[in-house]
Amino acid sequence: MNMLLSAEGIAKSFGATQVLSGITLSIAPGEPVGLFGPNGSGKTTLVNILSGLLLPDTGTVRFDGKEITRLPLDARYRLGIARTFQIPHPYPALSVREAVRVALEVNTGKRDEEGGAGKEEGPAEDLLDRTGLFNQRFVPCAQLSQGCLRRLEFARALACRPKLLILDEIFSALSAADEGDLTALLRAANRDEGAAFLLVSHNPPLLKALCRRILVLEEGRIVRERTL
Amino acid sequence: MAAAPYRGGWLAAGIGLLLLFPLSSPDAFFLDVFTTGFLLAAFAASWDVVGGVSGQITLGHALPFGVAAYACALLTSLAGWPLPLALAAAVLLAAAVGAGIGGLSAPLAGPFVALLTLALGEIAHEAAVGNTFFSGPGGYAWGGEGGIPVALPWEDASPFSSYYAALAFLCIASFGMLRFSRSGAGLILRAVAGSPITAQASGVPIARFKRLAFTVGSAFAGAAGACFAVHVGRATATDLSLELSFQAATFAAVGGRGTIVGPVVAALVLHVLFQGLSLPPSARVLLYALTLLVTLRFFPGGVVGTVRDLALRIGGNGKEGPRSPRRRNRNRTGEGTP
Amino acid sequence: MLLDGLFAGGTYALMAAGMALILGVVKVINLSHGAFFTLGAYVAYALAERGIETPIAAAPLAAVIAFAFGVFLGKSFVNPVRSHPFALPVGTLACALLFEQAAQMVWGPHPLSIEAGKPWIGPGGLVVRRWGVIAFFSSAALLGGLKWVLSARPGLPLRLIAEDEEIAGSLGMDVETIRYLTFGGACAMAAAAGALLSPSGAVTPTMGRAPLLLSLVVVIVAGMDSVAAIFLLSIGLGIFGNACAWFLSPQWSYVALLSAVCLLLAVRPAGIVALAGRRD
Repeated sequence: MNMLLSAEGIAKSFGATQVLSGITLSIAPGEPVGLFGPNGSGKTTLVNILSGLLLPDTGTVRFDGKEITRLPLDARYRLGIARTFQIPHPYPALSVREAVRVALEVNTGKRDEEGGAGKEEGPAEDLLDRTGLFNQRFVPCAQLSQGCLRRLEFARALACRPKLLILDEIFSALSAADEGDLTALLRAANRDEGAAFLLVSHNPPLLKALCRRILVLEEGRIVRERTL
Repeated sequence: MAAAPYRGGWLAAGIGLLLLFPLSSPDAFFLDVFTTGFLLAAFAASWDVVGGVSGQITLGHALPFGVAAYACALLTSLAGWPLPLALAAAVLLAAAVGAGIGGLSAPLAGPFVALLTLALGEIAHEAAVGNTFFSGPGGYAWGGEGGIPVALPWEDASPFSSYYAALAFLCIASFGMLRFSRSGAGLILRAVAGSPITAQASGVPIARFKRLAFTVGSAFAGAAGACFAVHVGRATATDLSLELSFQAATFAAVGGRGTIVGPVVAALVLHVLFQGLSLPPSARVLLYALTLLVTLRFFPGGVVGTVRDLALRIGGNGKEGPRSPRRRNRNRTGEGTP
Repeated sequence: MLLDGLFAGGTYALMAAGMALILGVVKVINLSHGAFFTLGAYVAYALAERGIETPIAAAPLAAVIAFAFGVFLGKSFVNPVRSHPFALPVGTLACALLFEQAAQMVWGPHPLSIEAGKPWIGPGGLVVRRWGVIAFFSSAALLGGLKWVLSARPGLPLRLIAEDEEIAGSLGMDVETIRYLTFGGACAMAAAAGALLSPSGAVTPTMGRAPLLLSLVVVIVAGMDSVAAIFLLSIGLGIFGNACAWFLSPQWSYVALLSAVCLLLAVRPAGIVALAGRRD
């Protein structure tokens, strides 16, 4: 089977500190994979490299057979690799609905004018409904709670009908209700839309519940791989 | 945009007043003040497209303005082009200049964009001041501080027709810029301005859109500049000056960045006020600088922003939409105050 | 001509160091820095009108006045407005323009000149201008003093704030006060440079624009850490600028500086990356 995402020999150092060395991993289409590791193990750096925010010192990343090592964040999103941020940076001046529209606009180019405020149908409304943000769609992003911000991150990620979701600690510090909803969302995306995902978390039970395979990262190396 | 309906009313009233103003037989001087005011207001709105909507602080917006003015002048006077063709070429040239500026400034962060645009504008200004262009059969040299005349197809435009022409231009240009700001592209630009990283993670090619912002903003600035040169009759080095770039930023800051309408109103009010009082040029620049400083310090959102904040505080918090009739998620999600 | 460039460059270093301080500690691009330079020159002119003609006397007075203005500006404008990225470049530009126009209203737009005093004729017919020597050595002395202050205990708060403001704040340092004091001090340095260099040429309201660009170029290229690098690069630029003005025209040296800024920003050396990174 052809791998959806494969990374080979990824290494990255910042100054004198070697953060990642010899990382090799692959994700099959539709496969739910977890990434576990303590703080400082290099999780976020790896995520940044895989999503296109950072260039590795050595190594290659391939997606759907094509090499994407040097491809930037936005180009990867358009290819179908969507990532969420652990600490979201919401748009200070846009509403929730507008934030989702931005992602839709670039990807589908749908002509969806400002007058859509009165409408209750549409791709943006659809996404907002799925992530439970429909009632808050006119609220400025800056006023959202942490849980809602994570939902918005999810909605944004889903907007491109991703083949691969890279989720950086999306469940950390959430209320039980938010966690439950987002878990269901992730399962649905994986099951119904065939989206593979790489879930970064330091919460073992969650990883076991959601993922079929877990990679363990320690001090910049993958030390263990467990298939459930 | 909950404010849109009632603001439309104010706008209509304002335009109505401006349409009626010349009928009160004012001095030709005041008609001229308003005419240049209209053109400057369009210039201010074009700054807002770049600096307000898209968040790219440009301190060199006089560059496309002046380039178009000079292009218009040179093409009509030196190359003998008919005016409409020269105008079109001038606007295209300004847009191209904008694309260039946008390309250069795209990788830079905020204050450095300001620095780069300032430097580019000053280079153009020095080039215009220092260069003399030789006229055709006239024999004397143009250029330098005196500028280059525009060859006009009419003898002497009446102040009334100039006034209405400029007002029409302002309305059309502002309408165009407003539509752009409310379009999908405008939304993306506002996203890039607000949080570039989130926009990138949403698939937005940042550099391309920054270039777009500059191109569109410069095109409108060029249109205003070319019209300005036609109205004044010449293109002069002050059309490229730092003071003019600064005025654009001031109008936008005072009026409310990102609103398009705010800068237009601010430009009209400030220009008519300062110019109408017949203050000497240095006093005017000084007053502009003071106004800007006071606005930045005490009214960061500009007049429009402050009014909006007050209105929100009086009228309650942001709108919440109607409930979804086909709720697939349970109702309790997404409720409650943050 | 070479010597003039040397002297001028060495004095501009004072201004560049001030800019570096502002960029590092206050983390602001101060577009009004040139206006303070001009202020210094006009103070010297005012003194010369009253018969006091030595730049040595003018420089301290200019520094004091500039410090007062700088602190006022820092306290009332720069500090409160720092969090709005739009406000600072535009606001400091406003201050610069405000001062240019005020100077024009008080002293007129025409170039004024200050009596330079007789130059010494050195070996081989080398013309050494008295003001140049004074300016150069004063500047070198002040910069040496600055370097000493920065590396010794009094300078520790400044270096710490430049590195990490939060840590400095939690250590009990009054970051706000240090910021506007540093701002004032840097402006004073620019004014001193202006006063010292005032005999070199014409005093006009807009004379500060070129030195502003020069100090920006120096700081971008030489970085904010080494006073010596700033000094040497300023000298180099001073000589280069003088050469341009000599062989071509003063406008060309201004344009050359502008082009240098554009080129630097287009090529983006590490200096800008560091500055941009620090703002986050």
